[in-house]
Order: sequence, then C-alpha cells, then structure tokens
Amino acid sequence: MVPEIYYLVLSAILFTMGALGVLARRNALIIFMSVELMLNAANLAFVSFANTYQQLNGQIIVFFVIAVAAAEVAVGLALIVAIFKSKHSIDVDQMSSLKG
Amino acid sequence: MNPTTFAAILPEVLLLVLGILILVVEPFWKEKDRRNTGWLTFGGLLAILVVSLLAGRPGEPTSVFGGTIRFDWLGFFFKMLFIFAAAMTSLFMMDVEKLGRRGESYLLLLASTLGMNLMASASDLVMLYLAIETTSIPLYVLSGFIVDDEKSTESGFKYLLFGAMTSAVMLYGFSLLFGFTGTTNLYEIAAAVAGAQVSTVTALGVIALVLVGIGFKVSLVPFHFWAPDTYEGAPTPVAGFLSTASKAAGFAVLVRLFFIAFAKNGLAPDWTTGLAALATLTMTLGNLVAMTQTNIKRLLAYSSIAHAGYVMIGVVAFSNLGVTSVVFYLIAYILTNLAAFGIVAVFSRVAGSDKISDYAGLSRRSPWLAMAMLVAFLSLAGMPPFGGFVAKVFVFAAAVKSDLVWLAVVGVINSILGVYYYLTVLKVVYLYRMEGEAEESHPIPLTRPYGIALVVLSLGVLLIGTLFAPWFSASGAAALNLF
Amino acid sequence: MTVDLILFLILALVAVATAAGMLFSRNAVYSALFLVLNFASIAVFYLLLGAPFIAMAQITVYAGAIMVLFLFVIMLLGAEQLAPIKVLPWQRPLAIGLAAVLVAETAYLLILRAKPAADIIPPAETVNTLGELQRLGMALFNQYLLPFEVTSILLLVAMVGAIVLTKREKGERE
Repeated sequence: MVPEIYYLVLSAILFTMGALGVLARRNALIIFMSVELMLNAANLAFVSFANTYQQLNGQIIVFFVIAVAAAEVAVGLALIVAIFKSKHSIDVDQMSSLKG
Repeated sequence: MNPTTFAAILPEVLLLVLGILILVVEPFWKEKDRRNTGWLTFGGLLAILVVSLLAGRPGEPTSVFGGTIRFDWLGFFFKMLFIFAAAMTSLFMMDVEKLGRRGESYLLLLASTLGMNLMASASDLVMLYLAIETTSIPLYVLSGFIVDDEKSTESGFKYLLFGAMTSAVMLYGFSLLFGFTGTTNLYEIAAAVAGAQVSTVTALGVIALVLVGIGFKVSLVPFHFWAPDTYEGAPTPVAGFLSTASKAAGFAVLVRLFFIAFAKNGLAPDWTTGLAALATLTMTLGNLVAMTQTNIKRLLAYSSIAHAGYVMIGVVAFSNLGVTSVVFYLIAYILTNLAAFGIVAVFSRVAGSDKISDYAGLSRRSPWLAMAMLVAFLSLAGMPPFGGFVAKVFVFAAAVKSDLVWLAVVGVINSILGVYYYLTVLKVVYLYRMEGEAEESHPIPLTRPYGIALVVLSLGVLLIGTLFAPWFSASGAAALNLF
Repeated sequence: MTVDLILFLILALVAVATAAGMLFSRNAVYSALFLVLNFASIAVFYLLLGAPFIAMAQITVYAGAIMVLFLFVIMLLGAEQLAPIKVLPWQRPLAIGLAAVLVAETAYLLILRAKPAADIIPPAETVNTLGELQRLGMALFNQYLLPFEVTSILLLVAMVGAIVLTKREKGERE
C-alpha cells in the first residue's frame, strides 16, 4: 500500500522544480515548459486526492486543466513565434523594449 | 431546463450568439466597411445589457448547473458592469489601426467578457479556474494583437508568462483546498472549514497560494510587476479594459471566495490583517512610483495599482458596508479609468505619442477632450463632485466602522499623494503651451465612437458622484448575498 | 516492501530525474523530450491512482499534442542550442531560497494535516474501472455541463488567437 502522502510529497517536489525553472531560466520556451510542469504537479495532487476521497471531482478538474493548458500553450507559442519574427531571439533578458 | 436556470446564463448565451454573429458577418463586409463590426458589437452589447436587465434578474440566490454557478445579485451586478465596460471598450477599439478592423478582436473581447461573467458567478473550483482562464487567454492575445509592433507582442508574452505562472500556483492551492476538504464546491468547502476539519495554519497556507493567482489579476503588490509593461505595450483600449473589467472580475472572485469559503471558524482576522498589509503596500507603491513616470500609460498603470489598494481596504473591512463600498468603488473606478484610457487612445492616435509632456496645450487643441480629461483625472484623484470622491468616502468609512482607523488614515494620505501626479498631468494640459504655440493648427479630431463613449463615461462619472443613492443601494443588495 | 511501493518509487525517481533533465539540459530539444518522458511517467501514476481516462488524456493531449507543438516551435526557431546561462549574481540564491520556502511550506502543510494519513486505494480494489469511465462521462454531462461547454469557447478562442498572431493578412508587408 502506498500512503497518500508519498504522492503529495512527489507533487510538491515537481511543483518546486517547475517554479525553480520559471525563476532561473532565461529561454522563453524552457520557462513555458516549467509552467507546464507546475500544472502537472497540481494535476497529480488532484488525482491522488480524488483517489483518497473516492470523489470524481478531482479527475474532472484535471480534465479541464489539460484542455486549458492546451489552449494556453497554443496562444503562448504563437506569441513566442511572433516575438521571434521581430527580435530573432527568445531570451527573456533581451525583451526589454518596455522599460522594466 | 427551467426558466431560472436559463436566466442564470442568459447574458453568457447572448454573448456567445453575438460573438458567432460577428465571426459570420465580418467576411461579408468589404475591407473598408470592416469598422462596422465595432458598431455591431457595441449595439449587440447594449442589447444584451437591456435584455438581461429585463429578463435575467435574479430572485433568491440559487445554485444552478450542478452547483457550479450561483445565481444571485452579486454575480448579476458584476456581469452588467462587465458588459458595460466591454461596450465602451468596443467603441474605443474601433478606430485603432489594425485592431478595430478585424472581427477577431471583438470576438476575443466578447469571449473575455463571457469568462468574466462566469468568474463573478462561479461557486465551484472547477468553474472558477476555467472562468479565470477563459478571461485571461483572450486578453493575452488582445495585448499582443498588433503583431508588427514589438512592444505589443512583448507585452502580450509577459502578460501570458506571468499569468500562466500565477494561475499554476493558484491551481496548486486549489488542489490542496480540495485535498483538505474533499469537495470542490465553495459552499461545501465553507462548511468543511467551519466544521474545524482544517487547521488554521493549513488554511492560511492555502489562502496564500490562492492569493498569488488572485493578486495577479487585481495587480496587488508584489504580484503587480506585469501591469506597467503590459499596459504600456498593449493597444490602449485593451489596456483600459484590462485595468478595469479584468481587475473588477478579480475582485468579484476574491470577495466570493474569501467571504464564503474562508470566512468561518475565526479565520477572518488572520487573513484580513495580511490583506491589509498588502493593501497598504499596494497603495503606497502605486502612488509613489506613479509620481516618477513620464509616459502617461505607465502613470495610469501605477495609478490603477494604487486604486486596487483602495478597493482592498473595503475587502479588509470584512463587513456589509465593506463589500458594498467595494462594489460601488468598482463602478466609479470602471467609469473613470475607461474614460482616462479612452482619452489617451484618442490623443495617441492623432499625436502619436504617449509622453505626458506632449499633452501640453491640449486645452487649446481640443477643449472638450481636455474637459473629459479633467473629469476623469479629478475623479481618479478623489475630488468632489465626481464618483471617485464618493467611492473613497465609502471605502474609508467602512474601514473606520470596522475599527481599522489606521488603514483609513493610510488611505487618505495616499489619496493626497495621488492628487499630486494627477494634478501634474492636468497642469501640463491646461497651463502649458505646445511647442511653437501653434495649437489652432493642430486640433485633435474626435471620431464618433470616441465621442459617444467619452460623453457617456464622463456623464457617468458625474452621475455616480452626485446621485449615488440608487447605485449605493444596488451595491448593498449585491453585498447582502455574502452575509 | 510491496510491489506497489517499489513501482511507485521507481516511477517517482523517473519523474524527478526527467524533470531535472528538462531544467538543466543545454539543448531545448532534449528538454522537450525529457518533459515528454515526465508526462508519460505521470500518466502511469494516473493509472495507478485509478484514473485511466485521465491517463489516456494526459498522453494524447499533453505528451502527444502539446509537447509536439513545443518541438515544432523549437525546430522552427532554431533554438536547439542555448547560450550558457548567464545569471545575475543574486538570481540563483534567490531562486533556491524561494524554492526552499515553497518546499518547507508544502511539507509543513502536509505534515500538519488534521486527517489521519490514508492509503491510496489501488485501482483493482475500486469499482470496475469501465463503470468509472461511465461515471466520469455522466458527471461531465450532468453536473459539469456548463464548464464543459465553456471549454469549447476557450478552444475556439485559442484557435482564433493563434491564427491572428501568426498569419499574415493579404497585402500586409513583412
């Protein structure tokens, strides 16, 4: 038997790694991928709680989160492509035409 | 489906119909007539407003659609606000190059408004997350809409990155909330919290995570970093919509989530103190940095951040008067800020600049535009007889009544700080003269959509400031749903 | 040490290792591929947790569509080779500090939970999984009908948005 807490710790570790990726990397695509990792960590937590409580709500919200993530990635990648066309770089440190 | 259920989503269904109508009709218009899509959107939104007010009014609060939506005055009131803001924004969008002639921009505006409507009435974590994303994703696209402008795409991307990040943190908070209570329905969560199934520390931790996402939407410090860059780069009408309707939607979620799910079991004093600290930081930082700005869109961005702080005071007051004042402030703020951004849109379209120093002599170039600016900025500063003054009075009164006199004092001091930079802009407009002093040969023409929108908004600001009683009692009816 | 536990530990190791691989890889394509492996391992977790439909959705949508889209864009932009990371001196410690705070908070929350620690119920002991898929469908179309329909609007918006941002209109100059 696997205690539920193991899943939660794993999800916390993955979430933290995703957050680290967002904060420390400079390539826009990698940052975006780290956000997807964070979302997956939350999804894992939801499904493990759904199992504990035998409640389908957890799985249903994961269904919607996956759909939302797909939509977000489509728009995000389109924006990255649009930025690349003008700057020829996806390094976030070079995105400074707007005064920080 | 019984009538109540349908009435609950009537505005959303109509919004969807209008959106599809726009998508279908637009290709049939010739290129030069495409601007009419804006008039169609505006007319359609007004029609939706009227129909909803007539046929979609809520009675007793009921949970419909399997508990995902709550049909009550609070949600309904906010929905009408969002539809009104979208109508004004569609007018402002019409004459922006590359934005107003494409039907997709109006569709995105309508989709975002639909998302906001659902945000205001969501009572389940599933619906809430989905509504927040349905609001945000069209706005990411709208911010980056002008693909040739590198500032626009950059602002859209920064907005998206920040938004995706904070909503992931918020989703993690939701998962922990689900984990500790075993349900996603807000009212059942409230029961679980009240039944002491959740210890205070865990609840506060979850609140902190959820606050990251909501703080982003209302641009609370320290989650405000995206706002100045995004407002500066995005097309000005979109920035106006972001700073008003999107922020109000965030507050609608904040109020419903916190006052229902986290209100019982003595949790309230803990998170209200935290929010009070954040409100103070937000007001102060917003006002102080606004004073140093030379770009008017960035100044308005920091001013919007400060205003979010003022609204937060009403939330922190945690009383009926507090929520009433929050709703009332948001009405006044939406009218005022939309007017301000609209004026900036008109000016930058003709003069091509967003620098404050270029506004010199505006009073001679276009007296009516300068008058609208006077109304908007004085209302933002909180001067009578405009709406901003009454709104601030109510918010501070709510704070004082809840024994938070120190917070009201901080608010008043910040308002005084705010007056400084608003008056600085007005000084440039009224007292300075244009270079070469040739104002008569550089007038600022006002096209019809801008004219209509600015007249409606300016009159609205005056109306809210003088005849505020009906609006106040409507806000009170909305607030009652939370207590 | 039951089979369940061993399986969990192996998969957890894979998940964490691939996540680390994604974060620290020098080549964007390798990062994307590591992430695909990560998503696949999470899909297996979903199977262990009795959510077969979600596991399939994860593989189809996340690993199969989203990551493929990422790879397309990486190849399109020629971003395989990443410049060595030049970070501001305070950035690394700040990131690690914030990460430590996050871990500490989450661990604290989990350990202080009021509910006694429960065990995960393996799928074999739950109701017949085919019935569960049926229950999921029923819930999606009865209780959660409105979110389901709103998702379709969201997907329409994403499509429109992606096209608007990348397609050049006739007559627009490059």
